Amino acid sequence: MIEFKGVHKAYDNGIKALKDVSILINKGEFVFIVGASGAGKSTFLKLMMREEVPSAGEVIVNGYKLSKLKRREIPYLRRSMGIVFQDFRLINNMTVFDNVAFAMRVIGKSGSDIRKRVPYILGLVGLQNKVRSFPKELSGGEQQRVGLARALVNNPSIIIADEPTGNIDPELSYEIVELLTEINRRGTTVIMVTHEHDLVRLFHHRVIEIREGCVVSDRLSDRKVKKPTREADAVDAAGIFPTFREGGSI
Amino acid sequence: MNLSSIRYLIRESFRNIWQNKLMAVASIGVLISCLLLTGGSYLVYANINHTFEWIDSQNVVVAFAKEDSTDAQLTVLEDKIKCITNVDTVEFVSKEQALLRYKDSMTDAVFEEMQGENNPYLDSFVVTFKDLSKFKDTIKQMDQIPEIEDIVYSEDTAKQLTNIRNIMLLASGCIILLLLVVSLFIIANTIKLTVYNRRLEISIMKSVGATNVFVRIPFIIEGIVLGVFSACLSYGIVFLVYSKLYDMVGRDIMGGLLEFSAVWHVMLLGFIALGVLTGIAGSAISMRRYLRDEGGISSVI
Repeated sequence: MIEFKGVHKAYDNGIKALKDVSILINKGEFVFIVGASGAGKSTFLKLMMREEVPSAGEVIVNGYKLSKLKRREIPYLRRSMGIVFQDFRLINNMTVFDNVAFAMRVIGKSGSDIRKRVPYILGLVGLQNKVRSFPKELSGGEQQRVGLARALVNNPSIIIADEPTGNIDPELSYEIVELLTEINRRGTTVIMVTHEHDLVRLFHHRVIEIREGCVVSDRLSDRKVKKPTREADAVDAAGIFPTFREGGSI
Repeated sequence: MNLSSIRYLIRESFRNIWQNKLMAVASIGVLISCLLLTGGSYLVYANINHTFEWIDSQNVVVAFAKEDSTDAQLTVLEDKIKCITNVDTVEFVSKEQALLRYKDSMTDAVFEEMQGENNPYLDSFVVTFKDLSKFKDTIKQMDQIPEIEDIVYSEDTAKQLTNIRNIMLLASGCIILLLLVVSLFIIANTIKLTVYNRRLEISIMKSVGATNVFVRIPFIIEGIVLGVFSACLSYGIVFLVYSKLYDMVGRDIMGGLLEFSAVWHVMLLGFIALGVLTGIAGSAISMRRYLRDEGGISSVI
């Protein structure tokens, strides 16, 4: 569960990024956060990840009151989240497998856990045949799926996706959101920041709109547009979400 | 932290060094320069000290025994002098030996004249002190021995030597300290560049919940490895250069150069300790600053 209670955030340079934001996101929800550049979306995410602290109000994530969290406790909060970046943030000299395994290694998971879990997650995002490839050999959509696999590999309860479709072709964006939706169906809370209103309209999820630091609307998407056939074919062809018997859950 | 984490961190450290080869070479170069300067300063200090010790040993005090002292009295006197804490060596010079020393400066006739009962010299003891700063007190103690007729010494030389040695000690200490601070500063900045090169990995590590300790450890190990490597190379260079210098001028200068075997352990341990400490401190400083000021999840690129 994520709760913002009367949150204000002003930076040292005087910019007021968020003004009296109160939001409750329940466990298992899929929420789009939309808004133009500079609306306060990034600040919203930074507060959730405890990269910033509110100037006033309180942010509660999975029971942690973030303003009271000690510095040494921050890594453990972040282990309950998986973060997907707009620029993928893959390490170019590591293979797909190592990029995903990296997230497990740096929190001290054993080699045998890694060998079991990483192929399972890569299968889940449809990259079981790209295990030994390097990021530069992949398309934008595939690179983002590696980013998604890395975010999922430590089995977080929340996925935070910061403009995950911002750097990939529009026709592949649908595929990424579809993946996130499937992950959400399996119980993970998904928060996706985007400014692509057209993409949001393709899915029937909660949409929170932020404008000039304030929440201006909080509603369910109407799903006016139908899923484009070509993209649906692409998703099916990628063999996304095959059933695996080993490797754990998401 | 489990075994596979430790293995991973060590492997990562060596991978970092290999991937940032140029940076590693730069760090080692900087560290070697600093260690050579520090080691050089130490060798200069040790040699000056050695020379002063030699001068000290030449700077003797002569205690003359009372005229017609018996052998038994001379033995008692020698023991009494030896009992003074600051006395280093005591050498007996009989009046016959003293006369012999000056034989060349007199004619044979005079020398013959001075034999036996006519010998004008006194039996004496040539005494050296351990610590010249306690010169006055030691002389006072010797003065209280009744068997001594007279004491001959040069107080001013002793005082000057102590003063010069203290100034040299202070100057060498300051130079070494200054060089250490400079080394630390340069290493911290060099490692900062390595950290900057790896900011993407650090941001990912932080985003998935790696602790700051886990983020820091590979850099600390990197610092240690670079430190040990630089220390060994510096030691080798100093050994070769100093040995060559010793062969060339070692015996020509006053008191002779200090043999390398007298300082090798101080040099080796000192180099390794300095290299490792500078490496660790440099890594720790730059990582601390980076993680505090810029090393966030979203602050990269």
